Amino acid sequence: MRRAIAFLLLAAVANAATAQLPGLRRRAPVPAAPVLSGIDALRADFIMRSGADTVYFGQDNSLLGLPAKTTLTAQAQWLLQHPEVIVRIEGHGDASDTRDHALAMGARRAEEVRSYLVLLGVPAVQLSITSWGKERPGAGRAVTILVR
Amino acid sequence: MIRHGFLFLAAVAAAVDGAPAFAQQPAVSVVAIPPLTTPDTGSKGSQSLGIAWQATQMIVADLRSTSELMPLPPSQKDFYSYPEVTAPTFSKWRAAGAKTLVTGFVQTRADGRLTFACYIYDVDKGRELARKGFVVSGSEWRRAAHKCSGLAYTAATGAPGVFDTRIAYVAESGSGDGKSKRIAIMDSDGFDHKYLTPGDNIVMTPRLSPKAAQVAFVSYASGRPQVRVMDLTDGSAARPLVANDAISFAPRFSPDGSRIVFSMMLGPNSDIYVVGANGGYPQRLTTAPGIDTDPSFSPDGSKIVFESDRSGSPQLYVMDANGSNQRRLTFGGGWYAAPDWSPDGQLIAFTRRGGDGRRIGFIGADGSGEKVLTTGPSDEGPSWAASSRDIVFQRTDALRRNQIYRVSIDGTQPRRIEIPQDGADPDWSGVMD
Repeated sequence: MRRAIAFLLLAAVANAATAQLPGLRRRAPVPAAPVLSGIDALRADFIMRSGADTVYFGQDNSLLGLPAKTTLTAQAQWLLQHPEVIVRIEGHGDASDTRDHALAMGARRAEEVRSYLVLLGVPAVQLSITSWGKERPGAGRAVTILVR
Repeated sequence: MIRHGFLFLAAVAAAVDGAPAFAQQPAVSVVAIPPLTTPDTGSKGSQSLGIAWQATQMIVADLRSTSELMPLPPSQKDFYSYPEVTAPTFSKWRAAGAKTLVTGFVQTRADGRLTFACYIYDVDKGRELARKGFVVSGSEWRRAAHKCSGLAYTAATGAPGVFDTRIAYVAESGSGDGKSKRIAIMDSDGFDHKYLTPGDNIVMTPRLSPKAAQVAFVSYASGRPQVRVMDLTDGSAARPLVANDAISFAPRFSPDGSRIVFSMMLGPNSDIYVVGANGGYPQRLTTAPGIDTDPSFSPDGSKIVFESDRSGSPQLYVMDANGSNQRRLTFGGGWYAAPDWSPDGQLIAFTRRGGDGRRIGFIGADGSGEKVLTTGPSDEGPSWAASSRDIVFQRTDALRRNQIYRVSIDGTQPRRIEIPQDGADPDWSGVMD
């Protein structure tokens, strides 16, 4: 009789060890950081080391402020360390402008960024520019540097 | 009683207040368009009559779309016989209040084509003003009917009719950053709607050559905005306007269709260039630091109006067609953009931005008589009709969706042009041959 009870107890303990308690979940495995390769790794590294891939402007102008210059200086250092990388400088105009003025303003902002990077020693062959005008209204008054 | 008298006075005051506004309504001239007839008989006769009735309704719709003419509703009971086409009963139309009468006939020829004839009369004087005949095949009778509307409009108002014209625009679907855009073209009454590009690249600002034989537009096919030109008569693929990889945009044809003036960035800012419509070496017209864009030729080809922010804010400037003699046109405060010179040479339409948004307006080519036509707040990109009396433009609504509107320069309420999808960047052609 005793042995039978001890056996039952043992069985119950063994069961409890494998059973899930209600309300608790088995801890999921720690997600591994996705392994970036090729262009994605380069883009991630560019953004991490320069702080941002985008700089912003005031309304109706293409003047580089101090925050923009700080970001561009870091970007220039990265570009000098990666002479094999080509980037496209994509300018955006204001949504309140007319279509062609926004296109011209986006191009002028992109050109302003290109000139500043060249001034910091980045070879011009690494840099190309384009303008989205007001085709990408979500972008804001910005220039984005796209590693290609 | 006192209260009654007060109400009466208020009513009188309202009527007096209303009187000047009513007097400002443009004078409308009544046009009678009895159903076109046919000399044909039998089954051929009923086919010709069917086309004649559709053509009659088209002419009525064309003339109703103007602000100067008011067509009487067409009625089958006004049907007249073939001999009466050239000998109408003027007293009947005089009694109906009509100033102008349109008659005509449709005849099916032995070769299956149609003879389409159209006569315009001054009802008061009982005199013929104009006549025109066309031999057309298949569905081309629609264009003949538009030509007849143009004949009536010109006879009654002295201005060119805009019925046989086309409108190109950017058809948009989707929203925000993921919009799909295609160049589309249609007759100015919305018929014969076609897409010209497949929608795999962003495209913008189609500009038709004066007789709608070619269209210049901006395409991102190369990854950056560049002007391309497409021939509409042979359906060939679009080709780059300039053989370089510079950013180029804002194309417009010269009045004779032989040249294209446009903006290009060969240096740090956009300047205005002109080049042959079929290629060649671009000639630079502006050198000012700052944005120079949206050039538009005067109808005689001797001058170009354009937008420049060389003074600090976008304003309109006029220069000779070779780039000399640049001078500022607008001084009204706010900023001015996207000018279009009217086909009669008198007016320059623009987009004006002030604190309360973007509106469409016009100014005399000499810089006098500025007038704002629309209430905004997000209107832009005016393009003149061949009559120099109507303007088509883009209006963006609160949800950032674009639509095409048309407004008359006498300041009547803008009307939306019905298109299958959203639409941007409209451009109105000249009268086709």
